[in-house]
Amino acid sequence: MKWVRWGAARLARLVASLLISSFVIFSAASLAPGSPLSTFSNGRSLTPEVQERLMQRFHLDDPFFVRYVRWLGGVVRGDFGISIASRDDVSRLLSGRIGITLQLVLFASILIVLIGIGLGVLAGLWPGAADSGVLVITATLAAIPAFVAATLLTIVFVTKLDWLPALGEGKGFADRIKHLTLPAVSLALSSVALVARVTRTAVRDELSREHVQTAESRGIPRGRLIRRHVLRNAAVPITTVSGVTIASLFALSAVVERAFSINGLGSYLVKAAGAKDLAVVQGISMVVVVAFVLINLLVDVLYLVLDPRIRALGNRR
Amino acid sequence: MKRSHRAVVIGAFALLAAACSSSDDSQPEATSAPADAGTSSSEPPPSEPTEDSSNGEPTGDSTPAADTVPDDGGSGAEVGLGALGLATTTPAGTGEVDSITWGLYRDVQNLDPISAFDYPENTVLALLCEQPLRQTSDGGLVPGLTDVEQPDDLTYVLTVRDGATFWNGDPVTAEDVAFSLGRNIDPNLFSFYGVSYARVGSIEATDERTVTITLTEPDYWFGGVLASTSAWVVQKSFAESAGADFGNPSGRTMCSGSYQLGDWEVGSPLVAERNDAYWDTSVKPLVKSIEFIGTPDPIALSAALQSGDVNGYFAFASLPTLQELKADPSVTVTDGAGYQFDALLLAPREGSPLADVKVRQALSLAIDRQGYVDTVLAGGGQIAKSLAAPGTWGYAREVFEAGYEALPSVDQDLDAARALIADAGVEGKSFTIGLIGEVPPLVAEGAMFQKAAEDLGMTVEIKSYPADQYISLFIDPAARSEVDAWFTVGYGDFADPGALLGVGALPGGNTNFLPYDNPQVTDLLNKSRATKDDVERATLIVEAQAIMMADLPIIPVALPNNTMVTSSDLSGAIPSFAMMFTPWANSLGAR
Repeated sequence: MKWVRWGAARLARLVASLLISSFVIFSAASLAPGSPLSTFSNGRSLTPEVQERLMQRFHLDDPFFVRYVRWLGGVVRGDFGISIASRDDVSRLLSGRIGITLQLVLFASILIVLIGIGLGVLAGLWPGAADSGVLVITATLAAIPAFVAATLLTIVFVTKLDWLPALGEGKGFADRIKHLTLPAVSLALSSVALVARVTRTAVRDELSREHVQTAESRGIPRGRLIRRHVLRNAAVPITTVSGVTIASLFALSAVVERAFSINGLGSYLVKAAGAKDLAVVQGISMVVVVAFVLINLLVDVLYLVLDPRIRALGNRR
Repeated sequence: MKRSHRAVVIGAFALLAAACSSSDDSQPEATSAPADAGTSSSEPPPSEPTEDSSNGEPTGDSTPAADTVPDDGGSGAEVGLGALGLATTTPAGTGEVDSITWGLYRDVQNLDPISAFDYPENTVLALLCEQPLRQTSDGGLVPGLTDVEQPDDLTYVLTVRDGATFWNGDPVTAEDVAFSLGRNIDPNLFSFYGVSYARVGSIEATDERTVTITLTEPDYWFGGVLASTSAWVVQKSFAESAGADFGNPSGRTMCSGSYQLGDWEVGSPLVAERNDAYWDTSVKPLVKSIEFIGTPDPIALSAALQSGDVNGYFAFASLPTLQELKADPSVTVTDGAGYQFDALLLAPREGSPLADVKVRQALSLAIDRQGYVDTVLAGGGQIAKSLAAPGTWGYAREVFEAGYEALPSVDQDLDAARALIADAGVEGKSFTIGLIGEVPPLVAEGAMFQKAAEDLGMTVEIKSYPADQYISLFIDPAARSEVDAWFTVGYGDFADPGALLGVGALPGGNTNFLPYDNPQVTDLLNKSRATKDDVERATLIVEAQAIMMADLPIIPVALPNNTMVTSSDLSGAIPSFAMMFTPWANSLGAR
């Protein structure tokens, strides 16, 4: 029963946050200054008759709420409307680009989890040189924004060393990995630092906890102690920060995709916003929100697996 | 790339349409074989978008010699452009190449010609599709998909060339040509180029191979229209069955060019494949496959050009990394002739000092154009004495060149500038310039005017707009109530200074916000539009230009080159701005 209640409550929260987000996205895009007609005309003057015909064709003269409901109804069915700039279905335009963004985010996530947690555990368990080294490295990485990382990496690995391609997506698995390496590293760098720092602190906290000290004094082997008592308990804060960090990659990817000419959702969002291609902006924003919500859901589920206390609390969490 | 920001942002079309059409007399004569004419290959540089599209015409390009029908300068040697020394061709390639990658500042959105207006679409469409007439690399007009005759001032007769076929092997018919042109005057299709067809009464297929266009008034700018964006011919039956998807990756398109549309998926690069069944058998492109990739970041683009991941790029204005690329032996930078101008548009509000012609003249003398060209354009341009760059001198070149030379100097001269407004009483007055704060070249341009105004005792306020709202200055009178002036980069769809200047000088013109209404200029330009003889027409335009550039309804700043960057092992592309409209890769190949 508890499980069902938890599931239902979680689902209701999910739907509510999606609904609220959809309203905010739609109204923000609609209320932004400037007319979508300028996208169509590209700045040429339009006669009043043409303006009127265009307003009708794109339903721009309907009341706000009518437009919102029509849009939301379409979104639920997977129809995000028509892009004024491309004269094409937004769902078609997005589905052609979402794959590469998912791959990029997945690649970066793997780097963040493996390297970030790895460095954090290393620093947490072995104070001294390893710890100081990790602190210096993460302090440096944390200070490098993705767009700077992209430029620096390009200069070093493309222009100087010529090891990796400067832009594009590549064809086939190996080529794709090669093309996505620099973008994924740029995207992951500062997040790696964050995750490493949090992991280090969490591991340190657990190490100093009474039950760990007790277990150690009772002669439990160090390997088992670390696995069972330290890492297991440190996993909750680590999961939290990793989840939030990874969810934010969808938004950050805009910068990196642009820098490496990757045709994903992020660079498309920037382009569409600049061109005031509203249907596309709304559609991508919605997709990003859904991704964020789903990752949070995944994190919640992981909590259940990781921490029996949370499981016991059931839906009160 | 940097330009691209501008372009993108601004979306500049307004002028385009208006300016687009220029026809010239040469059309009637231009019945000869097409193959040469348009096809020579030279690559055009990528450009950034222009903000408002006033159509400027091409700035100087090719050889001064040819003012009648230039052959396409396909073969070869780099052609000097008179004083400016800008190229319209590059030496023809000699070896076959399997595939190359070409950069665009963004990926291609849609291939429907009547809504294409920006660099990426034009760069690709120029390879895929063909117009009734064709622009040569130096801006002349020659037969394209049709021979064109003008039996009288009000009639164009287009005859489809023998054996012309679409990629699918179907013959190109008069129906297809009439359909493609007629889409521009169908009010339900919202062609960007309707204005260019203002003097067109009817477009009819009069038999299997003949299209008759009847004008309501003589219009010798219209020939240029028949060789520019709005006139790319598509197959009628194909377009009709594609319906609303025509031109997008699902509906695609069907044209007749020497390259055909290959792979093109949403979010993937567009591939142009050589059309081995091209109807004009004298044309044999050397590059089998060209992949077009959107490269919004100039640093990544430069790195890719240097590493060979990208083999070519047209920087319509300039690239921030231009000097670095010029120094790299693995890439070749060609300063192509441009059709573009970079200028300050004026719409002085009540009480603005800019309403005074003397103040405009003084300001024009006080700005440091050369500094702007050297730094902001990274040397990729010339200072501007007029809006009509040498690349736009598509006919009667000596007349235009002499006219340009005769315009007074615009070198910075503060003493002369101060003397001009000594009695104007503008000391302490202020005006406002609008720009896009996130586009560094515009900020620098604004600072240049700010400095000049301060040197003259005035002050300038800068009003910064987000990119997507800047466009409203061009189309919304209410938006203009906040500023007295703003920047634009414009270009023409064909090489005719008359059409280009008309957009800024004629009452109602798309960039005439002053508003400027000098009956003498209006009369000269209207007369030129109705004049068949090239030299006479050019003479009238030059006269109008001299008056207009003294009155300065728009302050020209720079004439950006059409900069082309290619891998050094490639050659043969058309580097002049004509690449926006004409097959630029027919001679491209291994050096």
